This record gives sequence, structure tokens and C-alpha cells, in this order.
Amino acid sequence: MSMIQMCRIAKIYANGVPALYDIDLQIPAGEFAYITGSSGAGKSTLLRLLYCADRPTRGQILMGKRNITRLNARKIAFLRRQIGFVFQDFKLLQNRTVMENVALPLQVQGASIKETRSRTFEMLQYVGLEYKMQRKPLELSGGEQQRVAIARAMIVRPKLLLADEPTGNLDYSLAQEIMEMFSRINQAGTTVLVATHDTEIMRLLPRRTIALENGHIISDTYPAATCPETDTDQLQETA
Amino acid sequence: MKRLRYFIQRTVFNMIQSPLLSSATIGTIGVALMLLAFFTLIVLNVQNLTRQWSSEIQVTVYLEQVPSTTTLRQWQEQIEQQPSVVHVTYVSQAEAFERFRKRLGRNDDLLDGLLPEILPASFELVLTPESRSEHGAERLVQELKKNPAFTGFRYGQDWLKRYDAFLFLLKLTGALAGGFLIFATLFIISNTIKLTIYARRDELEIMTLIGATPMFIKIPFLAEGALQGIIGALLALGGCHVLYYFFLKRGLSALLTTTAAGNITFLPLSIQAGVITLGFVLGICGSALPLRKFVRM
Repeated sequence: MSMIQMCRIAKIYANGVPALYDIDLQIPAGEFAYITGSSGAGKSTLLRLLYCADRPTRGQILMGKRNITRLNARKIAFLRRQIGFVFQDFKLLQNRTVMENVALPLQVQGASIKETRSRTFEMLQYVGLEYKMQRKPLELSGGEQQRVAIARAMIVRPKLLLADEPTGNLDYSLAQEIMEMFSRINQAGTTVLVATHDTEIMRLLPRRTIALENGHIISDTYPAATCPETDTDQLQETA
Repeated sequence: MKRLRYFIQRTVFNMIQSPLLSSATIGTIGVALMLLAFFTLIVLNVQNLTRQWSSEIQVTVYLEQVPSTTTLRQWQEQIEQQPSVVHVTYVSQAEAFERFRKRLGRNDDLLDGLLPEILPASFELVLTPESRSEHGAERLVQELKKNPAFTGFRYGQDWLKRYDAFLFLLKLTGALAGGFLIFATLFIISNTIKLTIYARRDELEIMTLIGATPMFIKIPFLAEGALQGIIGALLALGGCHVLYYFFLKRGLSALLTTTAAGNITFLPLSIQAGVITLGFVLGICGSALPLRKFVRM
């Protein structure tokens, strides 16, 4: 079953600049895929369409069986409760503690205090930051902040995890750590979609790769075998 | 209940976590509303003062000859039926003479050898508050002139002209300055709140990303704005009371007579409640407008 289906999607901004054009894409549930391409290729726009921050100029987007192309503000909010987000700049609230940041999505959904506390602690253990839960984000390293962002994204047990350049602000070893975490999340059944232009990361964890250029999909490839040592040369173009 | 607790917690924590921003907003609301409240205080007191002055406005109708008691009663009833007249007092020649003597004080011996008949008898007419103007007095006089026995009228024409001009100027200044102050207050408060919300736009963005509905995001901000508005209004009333006590009550007593200074009063309770309500409304509206812009899904 498809988690995401995009049919003939186009996004043209108000100034007439086309960001995406003729995008046809299917992401099955439980898949791990990269959206790649140079800066301005349309990676972030594609993700923005998926979490309804922008509306496509043309075409339809289905998430599960639901058309999300024209939702009102309230329905968008409820849709986002099923999606986890991880961004390059972490997007953490600097004036709240790690625990408060991670607990936020559950508070928004009206979970009880008891449930919020236990699940927050569980998620912080999962990302290995339970001993820093009373710290503020600025007291943490970049890698730790990204782990907090992942914990916050995963606390609602989302069906889909969207990550926009999640390793952009991290050095190689921290990036590796974050990607391993994404892999574990994917193995647990969550569909993961990562927008990145970091080829090292894609080499480290080879997965389906959708390449964009000037708003078009120029290739959609699967690795020959899912193996951490697989080189990009081994990728087999399937699209 | 859970939601309510969250909103209350969030409102209080937001204010505690951003003390500078909160203080700036409360301070701005406080100063702006204090100016407005102090201006209202001055306008109300000047109005009170002019109302006291206007109570002294009266029309005196002189009689050429003193008629019989029956005619006198008839005329008095006739005058009392005029809608602009509140009260009519008959002043006999003897009473007028006695008043004149009192007014002369130590020089009252000037009247020695003179009879009370040298002064005319008169009716003194107290007017309704709406008729206490040059126009109102003139209209009444025109009506009374129909009786040929009423030979002279005095109603301080020149004084009334100046009083009317002063009243007009007062109303114009009040309307212009009041309008300007209300506009400036709205402008300053809405911009200050806009800046504080702009400083927290990241929080708004994050809340939208994690699935908070627009109302869920807005309620703590609106509650914060309302609370800041009420605190600001209470500070404004406090500040206004200090200004009232030191500048109006004590300062003006040196300039005005004791009686006039005693008549200077603080804002009535209804206006004080109005200032607090205004603070509350300004706080909510000042927050709601920028939130419409920043809370976008």
C-alpha cells in the first residue's frame, strides 16, 4: 500500500518561478527514501507539499487513501499529528527544557500528564538523552539537539517521518549516528523520507534515491542490495 | 480541564520565561493607558467645574411696576411653565434694596435717606442645564418679552458669549486630543505586542508543525495579551492616582480656591472599570491581529 502518492504535481510560486513540475511519485508504506538534488532543485518544496505548508499549483497528493491537496487549517493540524518532522536547524524551543520540547506534541494532542511523562522519558532513553532532560537546547551539542528533535518527532509514533537536511549542521560521525537512528526508526515500520544533498550519507546508508533537478525528477533508483558498505556505483537505476 | 490547565500554565510560564518582553508590553500599556486616563480625569474635572459655573447662570426679569399679588402669582406661574425654567424667585423692591445694602458693605451709608422704591422688583429665573447658554437664554427672553410689563432683562450676555466659546473650545480640544490619544495608544500597544509575538515566531512555527490547531496556538497568546492588558491598566490607574494626588489635588490647590480644589475628584468607578476593560480588550486585540499573520499552517 502506498503511503504517499503524488500525481502530476506542479508548484509555481507567486512570482512565476516553477519549483516543481510534473512530479509523479509513489512511496510505499514502510519505505526509506532519499530526495536528493542540488540547492534549489525542489527537495524542500516537495517536503513542504507533503506536510501541507504549501499547496500544489496543480495535481493531487494522496497520503494513505486521503487527498491532502486542499485541507483546511484544522485538518492540516490533525494530519501533522501523524507525521514526524526533523529539520536541519532542529527547530527546538530554546526557552524550554529538553523534556518540555519532547513532550510538546503529546501536550498538543491532549495526552494525560502521566502518559506524557512516561512516553517522554521512554523517547529520551531511546535517543540516549534521558540524563540531560532538564537541560535547555542551547546547552547541548548539535548532534544532541538533533536527537532531541528526533525524539520529539517520534513521540507520537508517526506513520511518516520527514527530514529536511537533517545532517546539514552536523559533522560526519554525528551524521552517521543520526542516520543509524533513522534506519532503526524505519525498521520499526515508519516510512522515512529524507531530503539531503549529502552523498556521503547516502553512500553510508544506501536506500531508494529520488533525484530532482530544476523541479523535475531526473532519476528514481534503488540500491542493488541494502548494505552499509554498498557504494553508489553499485546503485541500479530502476526508474 | 486538561486543556484549561495547559493554557493557564502556558500563559503564566510564557510571561515568566520572557520577563523583558512581558515587562515591555505591560509598561507600554500602562504608560499609554495612564496618559489616556489622566486626560479623561482632567476633562471630567473641567466639565464638573464648568457645570458648577453654569449653575450660576440665571435670567433676571425686571418689572416696571409692582402688580397686585394675584397678578404677580399669575406671572410667576406663567414663567414657571416655560420648559427652560427650573425655578422662579420673586425679589421684591425691599429685598433688592437689602441685597444692595449688603453688597455695599461698609459703604452702606450711601443708601441712607433713600427708599427701597428706587430699585425695581424682579423675577430671578434658574434655567435647566440644557438652556444654560447664550442661545437658550435669548430664546427665553424673546418669549418673556411678549409681556409688556417685563421691561428689562439681564442674563450676562457678554459672560455667556465667553462661556459658550470656552465650552466649545473645551469640547473641541477634548475630542481632538482624546481621539489622538486613543489612536496613539492603540498604535503603540498593537506594535509592542506585534514585536513580542514576532520575537516568538519560531515557537508559533514549531507549534504548527507538531499539529497544534490554530486556536490551540493562539489561546495562550491571547490570554497573555489579556493579562498584560489588565495588569497594564491597573498600573495606569495607580500611576494616574499618583498624578491626581500630587499634581491636581495638592498642586492645583495652590492655584485654585479651596472650594474648587476640594471639588477635584478622581475617576469614577465606572471609568476605572472602563480603563481596565480597555486594557483587556487592547491586550486581546493587540495579540489577535499579529497572530493572524504569524499563525499560518
